[in-house]
Amino acid sequence: MTPFDFFILSGLLFSVGLFGVIVRRNVISLFFSLELLLNSANVLLVGFSKLHGNLFGEVFVFFVLAVAAAEAAVGLAVVVALYRYRKSVNTEDFSLLRW
Amino acid sequence: MREVFFYLFAFLSVAFAVISVTHKNVIKGGVSLLASFVSLGAVYFTAGAEFIGIVQVIVYGGAIVVLYLFALMTMDLRSFGREPLRVISLAAGGTISLIIFLSVLYGGLKFTSGSIRTAISGAGDIALPLFYKFLLPFEVVSVLLLVATVGAVAIGRREE
Repeated sequence: MTPFDFFILSGLLFSVGLFGVIVRRNVISLFFSLELLLNSANVLLVGFSKLHGNLFGEVFVFFVLAVAAAEAAVGLAVVVALYRYRKSVNTEDFSLLRW
Repeated sequence: MREVFFYLFAFLSVAFAVISVTHKNVIKGGVSLLASFVSLGAVYFTAGAEFIGIVQVIVYGGAIVVLYLFALMTMDLRSFGREPLRVISLAAGGTISLIIFLSVLYGGLKFTSGSIRTAISGAGDIALPLFYKFLLPFEVVSVLLLVATVGAVAIGRREE
């Protein structure tokens, strides 16, 4: 188990998440992809923490978890409120402010 | 043994992540996202980050994914409709993802030789830097969580 394995895992998760963010049109699926992006960063933080032998990376993972929880709560509240107005979660129906 | 489990769970987490991003049914996508997060927790366990693995399973698997599934319960799944797949967005997504993946690998080329120190870091080991060196960020995070809770309630409130 070399640090490069963590790079491969993190890169794969990040590219899968980015693909989802670009391709999907369902807001819930977009949020799933965003969580994957945050998790790929966590993988590298844990890997570097274990490489350097100190725990600062793992402490940072803790903060990323808290921010992810806050983002999920506020984002889902916005999505549920939007669904109540438009009866849709497709991003192409929310084009009111598009130039 | 440790390496076998590392590769097994890393493969599982990436496979379930692919399912959760590409599946048409959002509920099935959410459940496979849960499987992906639990597998990632197991990956942290094999690397020795014991506390982070536990917190990953509790917070991501137990709180965030369940929050998504609860929000999905309030919606009508049949009204979601089909998403048209456009060739241009598929091509753009694939190209950008591939570029990002290759650049992450290029950045990791310097680290092909070092070895991971798999000493187990439990809650007591993490508490020392968390409550001394990073005490101020920890307190700020508590304010952030409070603001997020109040904001979520304020946005989700039904207008009278």
